[in-house]
Amino acid sequence: MASLLKLSSARQLAARALSTQAVAAPPSTSSALSLIRSQPSQYVVAAIAGKKYLLAPKDLLTVPRLNDVRVGDILSLSEIHELGSREYTLRGAPLIPQEAVRVQATVVEHTKGKMEVIVKKKKRKGYTRTIKHKQPYTRLRIGSIEVEGAEL
Amino acid sequence: MGTRIAAATKPILRARLRSTPANGHVSFVPQIRKLVFEYCEKWPSSANTRTYLLQHVENLAKANPHVEVVVLQRNMREPIVRGFYLNDRDKVISLKESEVNQIQQKVQLLLDSSGAKIKSLKRRPVESTTEATRGIWSGFHTAEPFKI
Repeated sequence: MASLLKLSSARQLAARALSTQAVAAPPSTSSALSLIRSQPSQYVVAAIAGKKYLLAPKDLLTVPRLNDVRVGDILSLSEIHELGSREYTLRGAPLIPQEAVRVQATVVEHTKGKMEVIVKKKKRKGYTRTIKHKQPYTRLRIGSIEVEGAEL
Repeated sequence: MGTRIAAATKPILRARLRSTPANGHVSFVPQIRKLVFEYCEKWPSSANTRTYLLQHVENLAKANPHVEVVVLQRNMREPIVRGFYLNDRDKVISLKESEVNQIQQKVQLLLDSSGAKIKSLKRRPVESTTEATRGIWSGFHTAEPFKI
């Protein structure tokens, strides 16, 4: 039993670890972007209406109702805080410029949530109020993440 | 009769080769297909609906060319607007004793909706079908194995 536990060699340790070894930071933004773009999938941390969400292409995002847009409109996300892939992350200071990364979102619907019934009561005072409320939402479908740089 | 030998590679199940729907990702298809207005010719509860039908319905149909707008006379019934959606569901809203601008709001609600059943949208803002980009952490694949 003890011999089995001692058998882990450096090679086996490296094989067991899924994360890559640390590399030096790339010299320029464009080389960082090309590193991220070379990986199979990317994600983006973007802020919409003041809240940050971790988004990937084809996601359906539900945000509080945006009154200025109509169903079918295409929005361009202007506050992108982070762009990443499996092994690399580019963090903005505080935002990543629009020339580097572009993400679009399509307004799919304006809905309301389930009916919530809020009952307010004060005991022994004859005070009861019932409030029925449906929170309005807007749902957005995230498009592809377009990372700037020369194609291979 | 003999025992089956497992395949050397993982078999590809045909359900995995289907594409998942993502309306709006590349192109957007509006989910509402038909609006039906039912009204009565005589009853006073349909009076505002009749005004709306005379003044606003034509502009509504022109502004939304993807929607089939139908006006149906149903006497001795309360006024109703029915929206039919591509997921085979319909939403029915009563227009009994609604003012004309309230009728406009209800019609806009039907046009904006996708026909999906109303459910709580508080908890999960992002609904995703893609796998995690950064991968899922595994306790068996860390640099240092945990020592008891």
